Amino acid sequence: MDWIIKAEGLSKFIARERILQNIHLEIREGEFVALIGPSGSGKSSLLYLLGLLDEPSGGTLWLEGERINFADKTSLARLRRDKIGFVFQFHYLIPELTVLENVMLPLLHKGENFSTAKSKAQSLLHTLGLSGKENRPIYELSGGEMQRVSIARALSYNPKILLCDEPTGNLDSKNTLKVMELLAEINKEGTTILLVTHDLSLTRFAHRVIEILDGQIVKEYVPT
Amino acid sequence: MQAIFFLTLALVRKRKKQTLVALFGVAIGFTAFVVMSSLMFGFQKYFIQQVIDLEPHLMIKPKEELDEKRIIKVIDPQALVKVLGAKPKEKDRILGWRDLVKKLESYPEVIGVTYQLQAKGVIKYGAKEKPVSLIGIEPAREAKASSIEKFLTLKRLDTLSRNPEALILGAIIARDLGIKEIGKKVLLTFPNGATKLMKVEDFFNSGITNIDNTRIYLPLKTLQSLLDRPNEVNLLALRIRDVNRAEELARKIGKEIRYEVESWQRAYLNFLKIFKVQNIITYMIVFAIILVSSFGIFNIIYMMVVDKRKEIAILLAMGYQPREIVLIFLFCGIVLWILGSILGIILAYLLESYLAQVEIGVEGLIRSKGFMLDRSVRNYLLGLLFTLIFTIGASFYPSYKASRLNPVEIFRSY
Repeated sequence: MDWIIKAEGLSKFIARERILQNIHLEIREGEFVALIGPSGSGKSSLLYLLGLLDEPSGGTLWLEGERINFADKTSLARLRRDKIGFVFQFHYLIPELTVLENVMLPLLHKGENFSTAKSKAQSLLHTLGLSGKENRPIYELSGGEMQRVSIARALSYNPKILLCDEPTGNLDSKNTLKVMELLAEINKEGTTILLVTHDLSLTRFAHRVIEILDGQIVKEYVPT
Repeated sequence: MQAIFFLTLALVRKRKKQTLVALFGVAIGFTAFVVMSSLMFGFQKYFIQQVIDLEPHLMIKPKEELDEKRIIKVIDPQALVKVLGAKPKEKDRILGWRDLVKKLESYPEVIGVTYQLQAKGVIKYGAKEKPVSLIGIEPAREAKASSIEKFLTLKRLDTLSRNPEALILGAIIARDLGIKEIGKKVLLTFPNGATKLMKVEDFFNSGITNIDNTRIYLPLKTLQSLLDRPNEVNLLALRIRDVNRAEELARKIGKEIRYEVESWQRAYLNFLKIFKVQNIITYMIVFAIILVSSFGIFNIIYMMVVDKRKEIAILLAMGYQPREIVLIFLFCGIVLWILGSILGIILAYLLESYLAQVEIGVEGLIRSKGFMLDRSVRNYLLGLLFTLIFTIGASFYPSYKASRLNPVEIFRSY
């Protein structure tokens, strides 16, 4: 087994409306997968299911060989904390905290002591080109910088899987390129990435593209 | 846990104005609790302490049984009879009181026993007259079995032993009659019509209006002789080691003797009941103040939760457990409580210090130059406890709501 995520017959209905149906999917460890499709096709819903944020109406999900029990909310939260990182279109940074404190937060939550969390967060911000901005409040950053901070926060606790939901949706082309190059670099270091996007030009960074339409996977291909 | 504290402090720190309003609310609620409790218990403790010091802990007196049964028996036991104007069965005296005193003194719980003859009378000084309670005492014994000397202005209790015409006058009687110094002669009129010119040798000032307004102490033998009741007493007064066990001991002694045994609690039952009602009313007012002030905390936490929906969603996505979300916002409430309590402790202390210095002439149930305060740590600890309970109550609902947020719904909405 070299897959890290495996979904079998995954489906999601909300008020009898079909959102996802019969999704079969395998993502290998270290893979960079782009999930594309038009608005409302079910991309984000699938990401929320794979990220253990939402409960499927049917089907089975495995994460690193472990079958997920969606009824056990405590275990789901622990799995998210230990294995999954999220980057969204909106940065969701905490405005009451500085750049550094935002990145330190997952580390402190995982039980790191304050000084270790601080040095790890500083080193990560340095790697992501945010040196010198550690003590800045969030509102002083540009959109691209905010997104890089949110990536730093997601990476701070070394997740095995990084789930990105339109991470460049709010960025200009220059910042989009920077963020995508950063994700590619993170992937090269071994983190599995699932990128949800409707921007086809970004699929060139992925190893594999999965196209979804009306809640079903309609095509899979390797980008050229 | 450190991540939770870290977030809590950041959330509170960045809301200075709201935090100030909420913590002032806690401080005012706390201060109201401490100061009101201090005033209320101060007054009550003072009153009870004076009563315990001054009054017998247990009183033994003749039973006031009326002669109804005998009258009914004479007429017809089966008849429906309403007896009007039945007379007391027994004379107002304690028979064999010397033996009884010895017996009572043998109880290990009893510190001392004294005997008195009490009667009603009228005091006259110049043109002024006043109805009074006359209490015939034996000074040496009284000094052992009560704290009467503590309340004498000139500590001249022993003059009652030396001078059969001496008396000690309640402070309010003296004031009403216009007697300001000792040595004045007053005329006492007794229930049997006898009169006697007596000399004021001291003043008795307990601070309890009802007592200082009615009591006159005089030598037992003088009163017995003027009432033509030689060697008679109608009250035995006991002082016991544990005042809280007075009622229990009263029941025990009551089973062994044929006279009525009354504890100080029973004698002052009406006052103690009033104090209970007073406590309930005061606590209702204080709790209403704390409740209103805790709305400040509810408001700030609720607004925080509404404002922080996005951040709560990302925390849940990052693996925070719902109970950890509850703790973040609950701790926000507790931080406000800690800050509010510190301010409240300072305010309450300052206000108590100010009230302790204020001079006002109070004359009601008690007489005092200022407020009676009970400045005990207990009031502060109870204040902290109650404001904490209200704070947790006010913080819990919004905190719980925060933990129930669905992150997916929030992510979809942005």
